[in-house]
Amino acid sequence: MKKLFAVVLLVVLFAVAGTASAEWKPSRTIELIAPANPGGGWDMLCRTVQKALTDEKLVEKNVIVVNKPGGGGATGWNYLKGKKGQGEYLSATSTLLMLNNLLGKSEITYKDVTPIAALQTEWISIAVEQDSPWKTVKDLFEAIKADPSSVPVGVGPTLGNNDHLMFLELAQEFGVEPASIKFIVYPGAGGEIVPALLGGHVKATTIGLGEVLEQHKAGKMRIIGVSADQKLDFLPDVDTFTAQGVNLVFPHWRGIIGAPDLTPEQVKYWDDVFTKMVQTETWKTLIANLGWSNFYQNSAEHTAFLEKSTTDFDKLLTQVGLKK
Amino acid sequence: MDAIFQNLAIGFSTAITAYNILWVFIGGLLGTVMGMLPGLGPATGVAILIPITYGMNPSTALITMCAVYYGAMFGGSRASIMINTPGDASAIVSCFDGYPMTKNGEAGAALAISAIASFIGGTIGMLFLVFLTGPIADAALRFGPAEMFSLMLFALVATITLAEGSLLKGVIAMCIGFMLSTIGIDALTGILRFTYGVEELQDGIDFLVVMIGVYAICEVFKNLKNLETKYNLDSKSIGKVWVSWPQFKKCIMPMLRSSPLGFFVGVLPGMGASIATFMSYAMEKNLSKTPEKFGKGAIEGLAAPEAANNSCAAGAMVPLLTLGIPGSGTTAVMLGALMMLGVKPGPILFSQYPEIAWGVIASILIGNIILVIINLPLAIPLVQLLKLPQRVMMPLILGMAFMGTYFLNYSSFDFILVMGFALGGYIFSKLEIPLPPMILALILGGTTEQSFRNSMSLSDGSLGIFFSKPISVTLIALAGLSLVYSLLKRRKHAQ
Repeated sequence: MKKLFAVVLLVVLFAVAGTASAEWKPSRTIELIAPANPGGGWDMLCRTVQKALTDEKLVEKNVIVVNKPGGGGATGWNYLKGKKGQGEYLSATSTLLMLNNLLGKSEITYKDVTPIAALQTEWISIAVEQDSPWKTVKDLFEAIKADPSSVPVGVGPTLGNNDHLMFLELAQEFGVEPASIKFIVYPGAGGEIVPALLGGHVKATTIGLGEVLEQHKAGKMRIIGVSADQKLDFLPDVDTFTAQGVNLVFPHWRGIIGAPDLTPEQVKYWDDVFTKMVQTETWKTLIANLGWSNFYQNSAEHTAFLEKSTTDFDKLLTQVGLKK
Repeated sequence: MDAIFQNLAIGFSTAITAYNILWVFIGGLLGTVMGMLPGLGPATGVAILIPITYGMNPSTALITMCAVYYGAMFGGSRASIMINTPGDASAIVSCFDGYPMTKNGEAGAALAISAIASFIGGTIGMLFLVFLTGPIADAALRFGPAEMFSLMLFALVATITLAEGSLLKGVIAMCIGFMLSTIGIDALTGILRFTYGVEELQDGIDFLVVMIGVYAICEVFKNLKNLETKYNLDSKSIGKVWVSWPQFKKCIMPMLRSSPLGFFVGVLPGMGASIATFMSYAMEKNLSKTPEKFGKGAIEGLAAPEAANNSCAAGAMVPLLTLGIPGSGTTAVMLGALMMLGVKPGPILFSQYPEIAWGVIASILIGNIILVIINLPLAIPLVQLLKLPQRVMMPLILGMAFMGTYFLNYSSFDFILVMGFALGGYIFSKLEIPLPPMILALILGGTTEQSFRNSMSLSDGSLGIFFSKPISVTLIALAGLSLVYSLLKRRKHAQ
């Protein structure tokens, strides 16, 4: 018992010493919370960060990934919220942190946690069948305008996600009534949407580029536009929406948030670590392998970005009638 | 055909190296343990392996991950058989006859047949993977929402025939299962249904929680009265993990029938091993000359789903290898790990990385052989557990059940749910309401509803869509036939 007490005392002392000094450093194992099951984007992000931090020796403590699935991220984020002021707890995040709140699915917002960084983005693409007559997004939306019921559009895993919202935003640009579009929802996301498009059950899909890139290259389906800000060098035959005359850049980014009430020293520590991490070869190779693009923002930039995005999404969701 | 054998030769030359076989062994052992522990399934096992696979070449990595996957399929039923607690979703059906066999003092035979059936299912699945991947992948693409709904309908009708006693009670159980399946976020609209502000209910009720409640914990309740009794064990048979020839003979046809069924269900996007096992169980019960023995320790009722879930795992590799898309949660994790290693998944996987694709196929056979070697001796110490008196065994079951419940979602809220379902299960058993239709309806409810609503969206609200597609019409006709058949059989039985 005495021993235990001594250990506890030591831990407390370390914790106090850690926060009191001007330079903060993690004093125990760093926990990366993936608020989802293994296999998804958040899980992959955590495991990639874990590998980059460990291999490049950017942190002195061990890094572990903990899966806390549930509530579209809420379970993991609430767990993080409970670790007030503890800089060793980080969690993966994405637009869902904003969307879930705006759609009334969760109470938690970015203000309840400490935004640390945006790290990577995937671009969203519109794909159609290989033998489809539509070569550009304009062709597709004109077909939808003419006869919405003849163009079922595959989306998943649920309405109100990035892919869905991006499609709605495009629809608005082309003057197509959002409610008229025939969305077919696949809870299995890419794993169900790709076979559905290959089998001709849907005529188009709005989907993460990575899910259809190889299908496009193999000539099984055709990507007719991507949401990137400039032409992607691994996809030379596809134009961005902007190049097609539509003013829309839509990143599906992922990043890292920390527990609430972190000190400036703690935030600075992670800013330094992640600024270094995104420049390492390990990180660059890993994200290239996964088909991700760099989307680094430090804590201050990311906080401002979240604020602006929240306003933008709020406006969009109200316009398309998803926000009640 | 020559090309296939040539490719297979490449595959075996990749897979059969001392290094790879060592990893298959390690992966298989890890998978078996993961599968045995309730709540921890193959997806978790593969995820744990990811950091270890970093240093490997891609084919060794994939072979190792496959070994974990198959290992979990082998191990999953251990707990089902021994303590009525399914290790993972694919082992639910193994409780139906596996646990009664244990109670009848046939635990050794049950463990042995489950390992053997797993091996046979896995091997047949592998053969299908080699020779039929192309045509089957094409057939699976033709399954749209309408076909999917008809398949669900068929599976549900088949399960009604699982119901013991009153048909009405079976339908009641099924309706309750459907009602439970509607709880949570509706994927099609994003609206919360029946959560009453409880955040933990947003993702719906995990059917494994229900399962652990109504089977494992409920079993403890039922045994509270007679804690001093021991299992009906023949002291000579204990420790003997083998099946007799007459027992094995009964299982041959069920295993041969269930393997192709499981394989095909595995290929379909969004279908899991749990569905394959339920369907094979229903099929065998319908075909059996002694359906009344099912649920009371019929060995073929254990062999069929065990074969089905392993061939289903092989089937789930088809979309991964041909289209580069995951057919199950576990293959999704594998895909992620492969991408980190720089392998681009997609329709070109087979042509671009033949040594990986065929190496994996070859490793399935090697893995299955190694797993039988691991699992048969492993069963001997397990059987010894039964020597424990009930008053030791029951708390053990309770502990395992709670541990498994927590592992599912790391949520203590599930403890409340699991106890609620345990009580519900106890009431059901007193009222003689059968549980399998409820469990299946809960598992299939989401897919059934979504495929129906997606069909309605596609057809602009016309039911004609189910009758305008040949696959769909066939399945509906089969559902109708099996319903009529089972009604007639019941009537005959009653007379």
